[in-house]
Amino acid sequence: MKMFEVVENWALHAFADGELDADEHKAMERLLSENEDARKALAAINYQKSELRKAYGPVVEEPVPMVLLLTAQGRSGSGRLPYAAVAASVALLLVGGALGWGVSQYDGAGPINIARRALVAHEVYTGEQRHAVEVAANERDHLQAWLSKRVGAAFTVPNLEAAGYPLLGGRLLAAENSPAGQLMYEKADKKRLTIFVSANVSGKDEPVKWSWSDKLVTCYWSEGKLALAVTGEMSKDEMTALAKNIYEQMEMKG
Amino acid sequence: MTTAAFRKDLIAELPYLRRFARSLAGDASLADDLVQDCVERALLKSHLYDPARPLRAWLYAVLRNIFVSNWRRTSKFAGAKNVDDLVGLEGSVPPDQESNFSVALITDALDTLPAPQREVLVLISLEELSYKDASEIIGVPIGTIMSRLSRARAHLQNILEERGTPVLRRVK
Repeated sequence: MKMFEVVENWALHAFADGELDADEHKAMERLLSENEDARKALAAINYQKSELRKAYGPVVEEPVPMVLLLTAQGRSGSGRLPYAAVAASVALLLVGGALGWGVSQYDGAGPINIARRALVAHEVYTGEQRHAVEVAANERDHLQAWLSKRVGAAFTVPNLEAAGYPLLGGRLLAAENSPAGQLMYEKADKKRLTIFVSANVSGKDEPVKWSWSDKLVTCYWSEGKLALAVTGEMSKDEMTALAKNIYEQMEMKG
Repeated sequence: MTTAAFRKDLIAELPYLRRFARSLAGDASLADDLVQDCVERALLKSHLYDPARPLRAWLYAVLRNIFVSNWRRTSKFAGAKNVDDLVGLEGSVPPDQESNFSVALITDALDTLPAPQREVLVLISLEELSYKDASEIIGVPIGTIMSRLSRARAHLQNILEERGTPVLRRVK
């Protein structure tokens, strides 16, 4: 059946796409109520839309490949981006080298790049309103069991309510070669804190370190089976207190 | 807009750039290569971005221009995909997704659209951009957008009806 030959009418498309003004919209509604062919054609347009969303909508939920995130951060190491300062180039080489080394030696979960990966994941997902987390806080037990299993090291999802950061939930992330997890917390003022959880593949303990990017501070360390990074917008002192709190709660099962 | 702020906004758009690229190119790894090129070019040209306009539409225009110039250069994306590619696409859909077969049906149907119709259709039917934004991204008048859209929808509808139900497609 040649649907669009029955009602060859641009207004039908414009109606389906929300392009009509109020009067035109009303006129189109009238026509639809009287004309079955127009209703069928509209249904066909909407069916196509819903099939397209079904097919491609889930792409938005997929973890963004790390190489894209690093490129967007200007840390791809491809050398195609302009860097003003020599210092930046040196830092780039160091990061690039660390990444290459991390993949071969540390399975990508070493302490050197964990802060970078945590920061990138923080920036991507704290910007989300509707899809900030995959598993919400009301399924805390499931979240904890699921991420422990995927990361490959049992851990406790810390309770930071006393510190003013109730849990929002968490999600699985694609790390270089192994899965990682992200836990997200949100303060009353909507500022968000994330904990990046990955397996400590090197097996070596690393002391607590800090790194800064704009207003964000990341505090990271590794101990036992876990390599962790905490990222948020706050002072170093505030972050240190939170990190200590998180450290005490998380290593319970590790 | 500072570089740091631009990068932050750019990162937040990555999931949507990936969706647009996937619907344009079909193949997932080709699509991510496109996004990669788009991000690099966007960073180089960020001084050309007018913050008064939506970043997403600007980025889509950058990505679309790369896609079109690749396509012109290699014509790699023209025409129907071969059988192996189609199997790969079906396999990439998570098995627990109930609409597995209808997803393959719509993506196969999309692959039969001429490129100029396909880009208009995905910008409007999937990405839900306005006709005006689509016209600016593609660089043609709104009337052209509307006629391509109408043809794309009619073409897609014919394919969907010809190929019948997803269940029939299941029998190889």
